[in-house]
Amino acid sequence: MKPILLHGHERSITQIKYNREGDLIFTASKDNQPNVWYSLNGERLGTFQGHNGAIWCIDVNWDTTRVLTGSADNTCKLWDCETGKNLNTLDVKNAVRSCGFSYSGNLLMYTTDKTMGHPCEIHIFDVSDPSQMKTGEPCIRIPINGPKITSAIWGPLEQYIVTGMEDGEICQYDVKTGEKIHNVTEHSKQINDLQLSLDGTMCISASKDTTAKLFDTSTLDHLKTYKTERPVNSAALSPLQEHVVLGGGQEAMEVTTSSTRIGKFDARFFNLVFEEEFGRVKGHFGPINSLAFHPDGKSYSSGGEDGYVRVHYFDNEYFDFRFEF
Amino acid sequence: MPSLADSKPISWAEQVEAGEDGSLPPATEDFDDHNNLKTITEYKYNDDGKMVKVVKTYKVERRRVPKSIARRKNWRKFGAAESDPPGPNPSNTIVQVEEINMQIILNKESKNQDQAEEDPLSKLKSQKLVSCRICKGDHWTTKCPYKDTLAPIQESLEGGDKKKQDDPGTPVGGGSSSTPASGGGSKPGGKYVPPSMRDGASKGRGETMKSARDESATIRVTNLSEDTRESDLQELFRPFGPIQRIYLAKDKNTGQSKGFAFINFHRREDAARAIAGVSGFGYDHLILNVEWAKPSGTS
Repeated sequence: MKPILLHGHERSITQIKYNREGDLIFTASKDNQPNVWYSLNGERLGTFQGHNGAIWCIDVNWDTTRVLTGSADNTCKLWDCETGKNLNTLDVKNAVRSCGFSYSGNLLMYTTDKTMGHPCEIHIFDVSDPSQMKTGEPCIRIPINGPKITSAIWGPLEQYIVTGMEDGEICQYDVKTGEKIHNVTEHSKQINDLQLSLDGTMCISASKDTTAKLFDTSTLDHLKTYKTERPVNSAALSPLQEHVVLGGGQEAMEVTTSSTRIGKFDARFFNLVFEEEFGRVKGHFGPINSLAFHPDGKSYSSGGEDGYVRVHYFDNEYFDFRFEF
Repeated sequence: MPSLADSKPISWAEQVEAGEDGSLPPATEDFDDHNNLKTITEYKYNDDGKMVKVVKTYKVERRRVPKSIARRKNWRKFGAAESDPPGPNPSNTIVQVEEINMQIILNKESKNQDQAEEDPLSKLKSQKLVSCRICKGDHWTTKCPYKDTLAPIQESLEGGDKKKQDDPGTPVGGGSSSTPASGGGSKPGGKYVPPSMRDGASKGRGETMKSARDESATIRVTNLSEDTRESDLQELFRPFGPIQRIYLAKDKNTGQSKGFAFINFHRREDAARAIAGVSGFGYDHLILNVEWAKPSGTS
């Protein structure tokens, strides 16, 4: 395959998201301008200007009208996707680590860091309520005691939020009551990324402890484990086939001692059920920070520490590959 | 959407003349209706100040997409992309020319690799790297505590068998036999018999005969990584038996390995076991391929 390289960011990529229909790719980076691209040919549609710090997270609602970004400049901004205009700025006490629209697009949530004496919190807003957006007061605020949240996603029916913590725990918080419903500790180090499957019944967690684990979203049962030798920064579930892709990094210490052979950081493909690796795609010049599958499963994008986003369209061999068992 | 070209073709000579004035000739667009290929030919000055012709070929497709996607395609660009022309901007969108293929890793190969990895390692562990000829302990012969007592008895029993071995260690495969050699060794009180004339010694042109025969104990190992050295190969193949010769193919200029090597064992069965043991073994980041060397290949 001939990947398309998108070079719109000057610093490392922090998150990549596709919109629901798959024609747009939203990329967030440590430079302060999120970009949006057409996924078909890599043409850049625009950039959202206004943030002053690294953008940690980005999300788009289901009909691609609103974009939400969370940044290290202690704000979370809501944008209009068509014009790039900043519709709302929500001021927060801390940096915003993860954010997301709920399935219906009516609710949005973001989680904050735990620094400067302020605890880590989940804030939930009702988008359709103009008073909330103006004052910046969340309709629900859930304080978190203990380790801070490093990654969070909405549950599939907007009833709960699944969060990954710094110590490897995964918790479920009820949206209406703010209580912790469930928690499991399967990972030993922090969770770097959480992503849902296409139908929302399963979620995959990527952790610094060099594994990615598959969980049932509602019961948080641990279903599968995918092992690698490097900390996994991101993991995604294919909407089309029973494949999982893991992207990771390298321990910081190893960077100077290993050879600088160009483009040797790879995304690894595992079989969902058998947990066995079947393929690798090289190309990045730095650890891969974010992975996202196109909603039709025929392509995927990866964003790395090198600031490049690579959009890969799978060859026919990928679809013909049959796992022998 | 692309525009149809309306310029008449300019000959290359004219274009060069235009360039000599100092100005670049205009860019041309060509539209190939038959294949739907749009070709843009531009001229610019490259880093050395020379005029370069850049030809870009675009494929024009018509696609049916849902209405919302089509609407989005017509959105005006905003932010940093505001001043971009329609179509991908080459400064941020690059199509990688080199193909990157997904490397398929089949689980079966990795399983064999694990086994092969374990075998030579376990062989190395179980085998004594240093063993004394006298008492088979973990020390050099000269350091043997039983040098005075056991040594003379050993020599009379084993005769000249030891003289053939290259290393002081005794490998697992080629154990020295303890068959008493008649008239061999230095029997106390007997006449001195030179090693080449003792029983069990290879006769006369033993060395050359052996080397001619040994071409059948030669294996070729391929798919080596470029930083493999002879010492690595020595380490890797030593457990299977004493090695007569290692030839690693190197590039004359860089000294890097060309990726293949020939190993001559003393004994054919060692070579056979080496093939079985190392073939498929993962070394560095490549999987090694080991097989009998074709006789004409080794020289």
